[in-house]
Amino acid sequence: MIGTGRKRARSSAALLLAALALLGSGCGDLSNDELNRGVESLSALAAQGQLVANGVARDATKATYARVMAKTLSEQSDHEAEKLADATLEEPETADQRHAAVAVAGEISGLLSELQTFPGDERHGALVQKHLEEAQEKADAIVAQLSGDAP
Amino acid sequence: MKSILKIALGIIAAIGGFLDIGDLVFTTQAGALFRYDLLWAVVLGVVGIAVYAEMSGRVAAVSGRPVFDVIRMRMGFGLGLVALVASTAINLLTVAAELGGIAIVLELLFDAPYSMFVIAAAIALVAIVALLPFGGIERVFGYGGLLLFVVVATVFHQNPNWGDIAQGFVPSLDSSTLYLYFVVGVFAAALMPYEVHFYSSGAIEEGWTEQNLKENRLNAIFGYGIGGVLAVGLVIASGYLFHPIGVEPNDLGTVALPMQGAFGETGLLLALGGMLFCVGGAAIDSSFAASYNLAQFLGWEWGRYQGPRKAPRFTASWLVFLLLGVAIAQSGINPVEITEYSVVLSVVALPLTYLPVLLIAGDRSFMDDYANGRVATLLGWLYFAVIIVLALAAIPLLLATNGGGG
Amino acid sequence: MKREGDIYVVHRLLDEQICDSDGRRIGRVDDVELQGNPPRVTALLVGEGLYPRRLPRRLARLARRISGPERWGGNALRIPWEEVDDLAATVKLRKKAEELGLGMGDDPERWIVRRLPWN
Repeated sequence: MIGTGRKRARSSAALLLAALALLGSGCGDLSNDELNRGVESLSALAAQGQLVANGVARDATKATYARVMAKTLSEQSDHEAEKLADATLEEPETADQRHAAVAVAGEISGLLSELQTFPGDERHGALVQKHLEEAQEKADAIVAQLSGDAP
Repeated sequence: MKSILKIALGIIAAIGGFLDIGDLVFTTQAGALFRYDLLWAVVLGVVGIAVYAEMSGRVAAVSGRPVFDVIRMRMGFGLGLVALVASTAINLLTVAAELGGIAIVLELLFDAPYSMFVIAAAIALVAIVALLPFGGIERVFGYGGLLLFVVVATVFHQNPNWGDIAQGFVPSLDSSTLYLYFVVGVFAAALMPYEVHFYSSGAIEEGWTEQNLKENRLNAIFGYGIGGVLAVGLVIASGYLFHPIGVEPNDLGTVALPMQGAFGETGLLLALGGMLFCVGGAAIDSSFAASYNLAQFLGWEWGRYQGPRKAPRFTASWLVFLLLGVAIAQSGINPVEITEYSVVLSVVALPLTYLPVLLIAGDRSFMDDYANGRVATLLGWLYFAVIIVLALAAIPLLLATNGGGG
Repeated sequence: MKREGDIYVVHRLLDEQICDSDGRRIGRVDDVELQGNPPRVTALLVGEGLYPRRLPRRLARLARRISGPERWGGNALRIPWEEVDDLAATVKLRKKAEELGLGMGDDPERWIVRRLPWN
């Protein structure tokens, strides 16, 4: 009798946890604020990537450091891209911005992957830094558009 | 001159690894998000740990009681057990975070898999503890941590606006929840209890008496003072570089970027080296604190100097805690995330281990003439009030800011 | 040692660290045995078997599961009051741990230490 009681308790606990998880996740709805937040973090990743790339460009860093940093930042960028792409938008009119954001995330990720492959190449570092700056500007522009759209 | 140097080196060895992964992460994030506005919170935390450590050291020297002896004696078995369970759980998270931190720094230096470095770090720590005399261990990690003074050099190289920095030391309470969360985080990262529990047990291991009280006070003021200078430096260096361009530091490697920016590869290596020693020292301190607390509470024989033959349960528990730390660090959770939880939760549990020490430190029947004087009493109770407020605010703020995610 | 005010003595004794004559730590005062009227301390009680007594009811049941029933000579030990030598930061006993049957928990012989390859 004690055994079945415990089993029942365990399965209802699992159900409760699953229910809470579903509720907590919001079923993947992306509000304007969250989209904004996502693009801001892309801008931040690009900014940090520029610092790493700059180090490579000036030959003022260690190759292993630059590679591992680039890899970490690239993964974060991919993760952000997936989050933005998979979610359903609360406000459908932000679809263009979401599309642009996912594109920028892909750009950032690609640039950082290049840095990962050539962490000691100064010319590459300078190029990546320049392109990341452009990517950051694109991200900032999307944020501006979203703020303009917000009521 | 020579004796001052000797004292200074002794202080550094005693405090050893002033900063841990929690300080590194929270100061860098605080600087990036709020520039210099949280400097006052860093100072508040540093003074807090100096107060707590001085009292614990004094209690140990005069009454022969380390922190968890005081806790069991003053709070009894039931309530003391709550303090022990909370403290042990948090220490475990901390050990995992520090081990993860060591692995991350090694990965940044040598680009081999993180999981390999976690295991390597644990093995290295066991070897170091088994082979080096305890004083030697503290010296290695303490002096190694001094490499982080490259942060101070970076600040002077950056030449920030000193007026703005001075403003940051004036307490201000921005209305944003994220700011308040970081007030708690920065304070809690500075006032990690395991550091004090380790210090108090160390005092007993060294056989401290009333003769060591002056040394105790010097350790508290200057040892944590040095740590405070480094923490302040990290906030400024990070604030100067990251805040204007909107960088959000979510990785440990980001901590070293300002030093790379200022001094190139040399700066980077000094920063990473200093971080390695600080986090390594913290891994030892936190794992030992966990074993000290458990053994002291239950009445087992304990002590690094006793060795595995005289204190087998203590030694075994230390190894178990390291093993569990490795397991958690390997579980795939980002050590930086583990750190956020270990820091924030530690301030929630802090009142439980702080209050008994405060009460005994002020109790003449235990402390004779060395009980808290007027300054110590005032500071002690003031900080208790601060700790209670932050302990109550910590979890709501953690949830409201989604773990500092904003 | 103060005999006056037994309640104070119990309060002062409970949860204190116990050391043998060599200064070895051998447990804490987990409970105190009182006998007679007026009550006098007749023994110190030590051991995990005594933990459930110190806990509120629900936790006590869990603790009882972990430590097992009170087995005198096993997880519960009795130290007669006469064995107490001094009472300062710790309760110091007159004899060595082995003579009193204490400190078995940290006896290296009972541990893996003996089975380690280099022993």
